[in-house]
Amino acid sequence: MIETALIETAAQLVVTALALGSTYALVALGFVLIINAVGAVNFAHGDLVMAAGFVTVALVTLLPAETALPGLVLLPGVMAVMALVALVLAALAYLPLRKGPPTSVFISTIAVGLILQHGIQLTAGPQPRVGPPLVGGGWVEGGGLLVSHQQIATVAVAALLVAAVHGLLHRTRFGRRLRAAAQDPELARALGINLAVTIAATFAIAGALAGGAGLLLSHQYFVTPTDGAGLMLKAYIATVIGGWGRVWGAALAALAIALFEVLVAAAVSYLVAEALLYIGVLAVLMARPRGLFGEAEGRRA
Amino acid sequence: MTRRWAAYTLLLALAAALLALSGDAYLLRIATLVGIYAIAAIGFQLVFGRLGLLALSQGAFFAIGAYVLGLTTTVWGWPPLLALAAAVIVPAVAGALVALPAARLETHYVALATLGLSQLVLLAVTNLDVTGGANGLYGVPVLTVLDGEIADGWPMLLTVWTGVALALGVFALTVRGVRAARFSTLRDAPHAARALGLDPIRARLTLFAVAAALGGLAGGFQALGLGVVSPAVARFDVMISLLAIAVVGGRGSAWGAIAGAVVLIPLPELFRGLEQAYLLGYGIVLLAVIVAWPHGIDGLVRRWLPDTGPARPAPRPPSRPAPAALRVEAVTKRFGGVQALDRVDLVARPGEVTGLIGANGSGKTTLMNIVSGLERPDSGILRLGAVPLLGRRAPARARLGLARGFQHPELPSDVTVLDAASVAGDRAAGLWALDRVGLEALADRPVASLGPADSRLFDIARALAAGPSVLLLDEPAAGLTAPQRARLSRLLRSLADDGMAVVVVEHGMDFLLPLADTLVCLDAGRVIAAGPVDAVRRDPAVIAAYLGQEAAA
Repeated sequence: MIETALIETAAQLVVTALALGSTYALVALGFVLIINAVGAVNFAHGDLVMAAGFVTVALVTLLPAETALPGLVLLPGVMAVMALVALVLAALAYLPLRKGPPTSVFISTIAVGLILQHGIQLTAGPQPRVGPPLVGGGWVEGGGLLVSHQQIATVAVAALLVAAVHGLLHRTRFGRRLRAAAQDPELARALGINLAVTIAATFAIAGALAGGAGLLLSHQYFVTPTDGAGLMLKAYIATVIGGWGRVWGAALAALAIALFEVLVAAAVSYLVAEALLYIGVLAVLMARPRGLFGEAEGRRA
Repeated sequence: MTRRWAAYTLLLALAAALLALSGDAYLLRIATLVGIYAIAAIGFQLVFGRLGLLALSQGAFFAIGAYVLGLTTTVWGWPPLLALAAAVIVPAVAGALVALPAARLETHYVALATLGLSQLVLLAVTNLDVTGGANGLYGVPVLTVLDGEIADGWPMLLTVWTGVALALGVFALTVRGVRAARFSTLRDAPHAARALGLDPIRARLTLFAVAAALGGLAGGFQALGLGVVSPAVARFDVMISLLAIAVVGGRGSAWGAIAGAVVLIPLPELFRGLEQAYLLGYGIVLLAVIVAWPHGIDGLVRRWLPDTGPARPAPRPPSRPAPAALRVEAVTKRFGGVQALDRVDLVARPGEVTGLIGANGSGKTTLMNIVSGLERPDSGILRLGAVPLLGRRAPARARLGLARGFQHPELPSDVTVLDAASVAGDRAAGLWALDRVGLEALADRPVASLGPADSRLFDIARALAAGPSVLLLDEPAAGLTAPQRARLSRLLRSLADDGMAVVVVEHGMDFLLPLADTLVCLDAGRVIAAGPVDAVRRDPAVIAAYLGQEAAA
């Protein structure tokens, strides 16, 4: 009897982890797309996700109170706003520094992260806010599992966004140009691809993904101005585990991180989960200085 | 002392005088805090500015210093001065331990690894009982030196600023003379640096340890000044402040760290009441400076008051090494399915110029990389004189007397031609080498301003300054003008006549054939001919595989 209860609890946790992990995957996806496009780490990516949560909270007040699917209605708007914010980020913090030493972009994005975090803290206050649900409340029960509509919708929306990005990158002419420009900027330029356009588009896509992730996280996990650093670190770790520059490796690793976090937090404590995650990544880097699965071909930023 | 040092010292003296006139205790506390952050930031400049690594662990070393001082004094009852020594030594050891694994990491992994470490330190001090958890440690005693108490106010201020002076001295010592150019070469020209005998691991170890020691000293002063140690010292805000100070003050500059601290640390006091708003200000200033003003305050000061380098020494050749032959025996290397080298033999004798020829892709550069230690062969034997080379890393081989020039030389960004040429020896040898290649007139120019042909000549000079017994050159004549080629040819001949073994990879037969004593011809990774020039150039296999066009012409 105890064993069945344990298995049921574990299964319940896996459901929670899937919902959380699918949002982490969106965060990591945006993070690694920028790494591929410009070879730079965007330290402000977590803060973009956090900002998206606050944009959601701000926009929801504009909706009529009886809106049926508040989260879903807002999703395109939040994604568009965050795409714009990411474009501004690229214009201010990346494009002027393209030719500088690699550490410059690290620092400029750290600066943008500070501006986002503390600008929002000053205007909205430090307390946690809650975003709207994607769909109405309610639960699905089956096989001893209790799955909320929100969890199902979260996974579905995240999966849809990931599929959309995959389709854009692999099924369209524009996506092929983006990937070509990321793989070999010199060759792409020689082929007449406008690098400024592909870079801007990549930032916009990454921003839109951050927008989706921020909205999805804001209901279940609330949003506070200090959330950004933790989210960025998880995306960063996912990128190292999944293989530097490997888009789908990072997304899968993000799922794995959520699973690890939820299970260890339930079994021991969230604190231990966090500490083990950092110790784990340090161990990975010590044993394999190029990341767990090496780096994608031709990407050595 | 340069005019820049004098100007900064004068400004600080002026600030101290104003502080004395005002007599405001609150201002004294801020000035003390400025000194504390300046010490930690001077350390950070070594790793961040000089090594070019975004190591986000300086805040963690600051925290370790503060907690070591707090624990040793409040729990173990150590005298504060002894505790302060521990607050320097423990982070220094931790810094060296971090540098060991970090030495192999590229920048984007260094940032993550050091970030993870900082998070662990924060988690530890906030949650462990021994560090007092969220409350921290109370009752840190007042610093006493020779039975005299260092009270708050002027005594503490002067003590901390003595620490700043100490940090400046340690910084100047660490990067003194040609060492600064060595660190720049390691940062901007990593392959060239290793082939010149500069050891990246040793450099990282040294600078991480010194940086961490200064971070720990600052943390110790912070604990002594406040009388308490709280987890706030481990928060990422400290690291952000240090990063902002380093960038705003000017990357890599110790005086810049002081100037940055003077400008930025009082900022939170202006925003008092608006909690944390200063970090918004830091963000805006940081972004503006990195985009518009990348050399920071010290860059501007340098433009007004440029440092004049030390007086030029008399050119002096490096001590002549014992002549030694380079022997390559049966070296084999595969890349995936490609047989890059197949049991290659080569002997380069002292006093001879050995030409290495072959079509593109025949394995010439791979062989050079294997000999200099940048790549590892699958099997084979390498010897310099009687000394086996395999198993030794590139810097160790360079120090044994092996030097090489590159087809595409890497150059450091911020040093003069003379300093950059002197990294493997000293400035006298650097000047001698520049003279040999005909670049002595450009000695004081920034090395990054050299054109492609001059860069190549410079690369040869930098290798010569090491005083090698064997010199490997990869297409040295490509892109040179006719007079430069003639001069280079005479130089290589005279180096060989002095007893050096010179190996030249070259496509230009008009350059190589009159110069070389022996030729080795590679084709698809195999030696198809080797011996005196006249024999090899008439070899039917060589003509078929490589010289065909020239022979027909």
